[in-house]
Amino acid sequence: MNDFSEQTKDSLAARLKAGDRAAAAELVDIYYVQIYLFMRRLGHSHTASEDLTQESFFQAWQNISRLRSDRALNNWLYQIAVNVSRLHWRKHKGRKSFSIEGVDVPDNGKAEFDKVGHLEQLEKLKIGVANLPMKFKEAVVLHYLQHLSIAEAAEAIGVREGTFKSRLSRALKALRRQFIAEDR
Amino acid sequence: MKEEKLEKLLSELANMTAEPVRPDLAEDIKQRIPHRLIQQRSGMDTINIIIDLRVSKLAAAAAIIITMVLWGSFLRGPDSIGVGLYQDGKMLVKYLLGAGTEESNVLAVKSRYEYLAQKGEDVTYYGDSIDPQDSNALLMQWKLSDGNYRVIFGDLREKTVSAEELIELQARMLLKKTK
Repeated sequence: MNDFSEQTKDSLAARLKAGDRAAAAELVDIYYVQIYLFMRRLGHSHTASEDLTQESFFQAWQNISRLRSDRALNNWLYQIAVNVSRLHWRKHKGRKSFSIEGVDVPDNGKAEFDKVGHLEQLEKLKIGVANLPMKFKEAVVLHYLQHLSIAEAAEAIGVREGTFKSRLSRALKALRRQFIAEDR
Repeated sequence: MKEEKLEKLLSELANMTAEPVRPDLAEDIKQRIPHRLIQQRSGMDTINIIIDLRVSKLAAAAAIIITMVLWGSFLRGPDSIGVGLYQDGKMLVKYLLGAGTEESNVLAVKSRYEYLAQKGEDVTYYGDSIDPQDSNALLMQWKLSDGNYRVIFGDLREKTVSAEELIELQARMLLKKTK
């Protein structure tokens, strides 16, 4: 996900647990883009995503004792971010979900025709993910878009690995169904 | 569509949805790093667990209030309930009763004001004299090291302004008040 080695993360975790403010600032530098994009990919608006990113870190400062040095920082921070996002949706029931704007995908030398078709597929997939029920969306976003491993993502959501895998498989099934329905 | 292809497309979607992030966001977050990194408080945990269990608001309120009272009495009598628990209780009541966003905003900024004032920052809080419904009202200001001012509005928007811009904002507020 990023170039940070596990060793560096461990020492950052240890410094955070010791109450080092510089470590807290480093944590922000490493993760703020990831957490913001996570919120956006879950369907929060620009403004809400910024607020929820700030809130996630604020909650992180208050939950430093929950951070175990032997546990990846990812799991801990994403677990907090997932809870912050869920609480927001619960407080704002019925609020519409926003789709993240796409950026140009790098041209891999594909023929123009293929490229257009490919972009169309990606666009359809983006809408498909946005329309998934929230628990499926969380699973897809964490594993495929935020690149967390199955174990990390399952821990972030607070379920067993088996449950997570089954959620992910049902989400993929739903996405495939959507593709088949649109192609008819 | 085959599962492998779908998975490949999902990985590509990660690049496609990597929109740019406001660069100031990191600084805004860093400004909120507490002077002393706070240790986890048991009250907040209780709230999170109960919310996660999706217990009804009323049942959650009853459970938490009973727990707080029991713990308070158990430790050193009813007056001994710690400040942390009191703060959590306030947050919980706000959540349960669904207090207005505007009032919650004013409360949130006030606690930040108290924190900055404690740190010795040159900070002014207007929350007691403004209309909480006015999202453009100036709620708080503090001086930055570069001579500019950071301001927070009623809807919690934050902005860095020059001394001249700050005077303009204050003048606008005074004008509204006199109307």
